[in-house]
Amino acid sequence: MSRVLGREERADPARADRPERPDMLDLGGVQARRRRTTERAFGAAVFVPVFLALALLVTLLFDVVTDSFSWQVIEPRNSGQSFSFLEGFAAFGTWENVVRLELLAQGRTQEEVDALLSDPEARRVFGARNRVELMPWVDGRPLRWFVTSIRDDGVADLPLFEGWRRRAELLAGAEPGQVVLLNAWLDLGFLAKNASRSPAMAGLLPALVGSLMLVALVIVLSVPLGVGTAVYLEEYAGDTRFARLVELNLSNLAGVPSVVYGILGLTVFVRLLGLGPVVLAGALTLTLLVVPVVVVAAREAIRAVPDSLRQAAYGLGATRSQVIARVVLPNAIAGITTGVILAVARAIGETAPLLVIGAAAFVPRPPDGPLSLFTAIPIQVYTWVSENDVEFTHVASAAIVVLLLVLGVLYSLAFYLRRRYESRW
Amino acid sequence: MTEAVRVPEETVRHDPVPVEEAAVVITDLSLWYGSYQAIHRVSLTVPRNQVTALIGASGSGKSTLLRSINRMNDLVEGVRVEGSVRYDGVELYGPDVDPVEVRRRIGMVFQKPNPFPKSIYENVAFGPRLMGFRGDMDALVERALRSAALWDEVKDKLKQSGLSLSGGQQQRLCIARALASDPSVILMDEPTSALDPIATDRIERLIHDLKRDYTVIIVTHNMQQAGRVSDRTAFMHLGRLVEEGPTDLIFTNPRHELTERYVSGRFG
Repeated sequence: MSRVLGREERADPARADRPERPDMLDLGGVQARRRRTTERAFGAAVFVPVFLALALLVTLLFDVVTDSFSWQVIEPRNSGQSFSFLEGFAAFGTWENVVRLELLAQGRTQEEVDALLSDPEARRVFGARNRVELMPWVDGRPLRWFVTSIRDDGVADLPLFEGWRRRAELLAGAEPGQVVLLNAWLDLGFLAKNASRSPAMAGLLPALVGSLMLVALVIVLSVPLGVGTAVYLEEYAGDTRFARLVELNLSNLAGVPSVVYGILGLTVFVRLLGLGPVVLAGALTLTLLVVPVVVVAAREAIRAVPDSLRQAAYGLGATRSQVIARVVLPNAIAGITTGVILAVARAIGETAPLLVIGAAAFVPRPPDGPLSLFTAIPIQVYTWVSENDVEFTHVASAAIVVLLLVLGVLYSLAFYLRRRYESRW
Repeated sequence: MTEAVRVPEETVRHDPVPVEEAAVVITDLSLWYGSYQAIHRVSLTVPRNQVTALIGASGSGKSTLLRSINRMNDLVEGVRVEGSVRYDGVELYGPDVDPVEVRRRIGMVFQKPNPFPKSIYENVAFGPRLMGFRGDMDALVERALRSAALWDEVKDKLKQSGLSLSGGQQQRLCIARALASDPSVILMDEPTSALDPIATDRIERLIHDLKRDYTVIIVTHNMQQAGRVSDRTAFMHLGRLVEEGPTDLIFTNPRHELTERYVSGRFG
């Protein structure tokens, strides 16, 4: 049995029914060639999905980035004393200042301007709705020209490559007074501008601040919950019925569609607790969504801490809480942080639960606290994509690029932390 | 083992330890992991400032016995203990005894060196910090490292990770870490089984030095080691204490057949 089969055994007639055993060194033989072909085919077959995934990713990035540029023919229809909102914003900081300057330039007195700007109703109107539409409400006169940008009056809008091809055509066709320009929708102004019904005016500031506030709150809420649960399950709970129940629930919760969490959040946080569709309600809902992920990551990180370290600490007279605080958690922190960041990255892209709890589609200004109405980047993208105006496609693309950048930063952070802390082992 | 030899209910004892020299007194100790009985009514007296070796084949319960002296077995789920372990006359399994307190008095060194992934300094300072030590930590760390014969090798790199040391140095660091908590008994669970002969020799010499200040109980697979380092030896088999007494008597004049076979290397 254990003897290596030799030539004389192959010749053994009693074993004639055995398949022919190839020579050990069949370097150029049929078998070897066939084997190599199979190996190559297998390698190629495995590479195909990787290639497809990469191609899709590149296509997505290319599409989104090129969509955030467009060639535009603009017709400035503004009065001579006007300046663009952006310039005003850059120079004077707040929209109130822009409005004040323009009102003064129209020949109003300082007192009239102060009165207008201190009227709470006028301010609410300024702040809550599109200023362009509402100016007439303020004093019966359209003030559109000073809050809108020169870019507002687009005559034509062409995609990046088509516009580049037909640039000569565009320049030739432009009437006197019209301007042809390459509009980069994603600029710093886009991040600094508030929301608007006009694509040229629309900015991501409220959604960006909303998303960042959500993320901050989700971290604050989900870390103690998730890490606490993980520590309980790993270090305290034995194989009790309760622990198994918690475990079962966790694995089930991780698979629940996010819309369902939205309905839960709507019922509990928005209605029952009466929070309304505010940042805190959104953050609590996303926390529910994210906690199972954090728990799973934290449990894995805690389980990866060698038991010999726990034994060493116990042997030195550490209490259970000391072992957890001084040995287990410090050694699991990299894994936990990575898990939290990945969970947060999931939360930042979630749209459905926020829509269900009633996050606003249009929020003119960033939320000032956890109890303000809010919107988030994915919701903003969703809203913009569903607009009719073709220019909103570019705005949405610019927002998607921002979202991807934020995700990229989070993933790099997770990668960096993992690399940095793993080297200690 | 080819033929069954009856394990006696009574332990064969040579030269019992006088009561006034006793540091740890184990009386009729039985221990179960769930329904499996790992230790059967073991009684053993460990003398102060001597090295006592626990020998026996794998699964003989010697590590379990060692771990029940500082109540490390409490950490295992489903453990049940009967009988008594007294240290300085105090019943360690008494109702008011905090196992944490026991482990601070009775330190432990494990089979595999297990320094924390911290600096050498912080490894040694770990125990004192647990107890809220407020004094001169530098002096305490130096003293512990000197006692563990490691100071000269690490005094210039106290801030380096404990994991950067060699295996033998790591094990001495673990001994220093145990000494820093100022225990009076040190339990060693096969402390050299993961080390090369030179590192083993250093640890053995260290054990020899330690008994001046500490009571040492060492579990070992290596009979030569037991012969070299210990004053008394206890031989265990299948959870029972078969024979115990001064090491030279156990090795030269074993009375029980199992002991005789084991120390002569005929099984185990």
